[in-house]
Amino acid sequence: MLDVRMNRIANNLKFLLIAVALAFVVPQCAVAADVKVIANSSVTATSVSAGDIKDVFLLDKDSLGGSHVEPVLTKGGPAHEAFLKDYIGRNDSALQAFYRSLVFTGKASMPKMLASDAEVVAYVAKTKGAIGYVGSGASTDGVKTLLVK
Amino acid sequence: MTRQVIGRFGVGGVLAALALSTALQAQDFKLFNRTVQVHGFATEGYLHSSSNNYLTMPTSGSGSFAMTDFGVNASTELGDKVHVGAQFYDRNIGALGNWHPTLDWAVIDYKYKSWLEFRGGQAKTTLGLFNDTQDLEFIYTWALLPQAVYPVDLRGENIAHIGGDVLGRVRVKKLGSVAYTAYGGKQPSDMQGGFVYGINSPPTVPVVKGHTTHLASYGGTSFGGDLRWQTPVKGLLVGSSFIAKDLTTTGTNYYWNTQLAVVPSPYAKYTKADHTTGFYSEYTFRNFRFDGEYRRQQRETSTIQSKFSCVAKTGVCTYASPSSSASSYDYRYGYVAASYRFTKWFEAGAYNSRYIAAAGTNWDLPTNHIYDQTIAAKFDIDRFVDLKVEGHFIDGNGGAKVDRGFYPDDNAKGYANVTDLLVVRTGFHF
Repeated sequence: MLDVRMNRIANNLKFLLIAVALAFVVPQCAVAADVKVIANSSVTATSVSAGDIKDVFLLDKDSLGGSHVEPVLTKGGPAHEAFLKDYIGRNDSALQAFYRSLVFTGKASMPKMLASDAEVVAYVAKTKGAIGYVGSGASTDGVKTLLVK
Repeated sequence: MTRQVIGRFGVGGVLAALALSTALQAQDFKLFNRTVQVHGFATEGYLHSSSNNYLTMPTSGSGSFAMTDFGVNASTELGDKVHVGAQFYDRNIGALGNWHPTLDWAVIDYKYKSWLEFRGGQAKTTLGLFNDTQDLEFIYTWALLPQAVYPVDLRGENIAHIGGDVLGRVRVKKLGSVAYTAYGGKQPSDMQGGFVYGINSPPTVPVVKGHTTHLASYGGTSFGGDLRWQTPVKGLLVGSSFIAKDLTTTGTNYYWNTQLAVVPSPYAKYTKADHTTGFYSEYTFRNFRFDGEYRRQQRETSTIQSKFSCVAKTGVCTYASPSSSASSYDYRYGYVAASYRFTKWFEAGAYNSRYIAAAGTNWDLPTNHIYDQTIAAKFDIDRFVDLKVEGHFIDGNGGAKVDRGFYPDDNAKGYANVTDLLVVRTGFHF
């Protein structure tokens, strides 16, 4: 009885280890899109460091250059994937889990999430302190593009 | 039979959750020109075990669906620095919870800078990796978090405090960042939780001749802190937590004598020391995630109760004057866990969870340990709905005096040494 149980556990662990090994060997799909970081004109900063971007989008920091800022995200797409990879260091699932853990423990509100680059640009243009990101080819009329140092 | 039940549950539950989540996606409204966010979650679980009833449910036999919980919160920002909100939580897990709604948290938070923040009200307690988020099944791979450290039945013991927190995060240039939390306050008592259930359960029911305790209240103060370092190694976090409690438990002892007359007397238990120290680490690499925690809890208590004496001829029993007795406990527990996200909709993992009831005695005894080897699969059906299937291979039960999943009252014929447990759980959130 105990042997059978141990065999079952061993088989399950073997499967997991093989899956883990495969995942290391199989190259991850690269995301090649570039992104622009944009902000509402009320944000006084003209440039921003990668560390500050991470802090703002992980809700650790709520000001840049003395201006209050509020992050805005897209729900998905190449620019979103590239932004997470380049600046946040978490995949979308992990980031969503992080935001939910804050929201459901009373630590923060859920950041604004919009469906497209155009919606992000429109929201950032009209919202004081908003900071977001769009694909490098997106029109950024009405918002300022921050230089990433 | 089991397969049919699971099939019905899986399809029906997921469809219902999908429909509900679709209907509940609207979540913002305006109040006094401020945006109020409303979020919620609900989960439903099915447990079936090979032996031993688990978590106060009749899990052996055809299993049990009596695992439901939900929470709803509303929050808003008052200016740039102040965040306020509250969440209600309710659950029915076997004989626990019993649909008694509770205020889960209600806080006002002032963030002066990222390195200094103040929180007041009833706040979730920061303790280890997942204490404050343990109800949020949708963010985990697991249907049940490692029960050695996050026991479902004892959720109320550490989940929150009514008081204040000081917290913040300090960036240490190239050395990463350090987040700190210090807190203190009153511990809300969970009269529907496993602690009370375990004590109130008489050894046999109905009692012909026996000695039972019924709690009227318990509670007290708790304070503690947490320090976590996001290291310069990408994805690696290490941390440590500490919590100390000063609790008072009061109630009544009942002795049923041979003529079924009840002889009551006061009962009280005082904490002389209750310290838990924990260490933990989390490492994420691409789609991998590894977690581990270790804790040691040391308790010293003083119990005041009366000893009884009986007259053999008449069977009449009376209590003598109350006297005090001291006890000390040394619990050790922890787990290691690994998971991998294969696709946007599927992740899987395994953990090994270990609990030692009395560190000073033989750890190999099934009555002194609960070892749980678990494998789990999580399916994210859409952004708001998930389904989990999990297998637990549990060795030991911790003994009759440990209230941690296994209760004598639910296992009147005694314990088997091993328990194979299937858990299917679905949840949605918005």
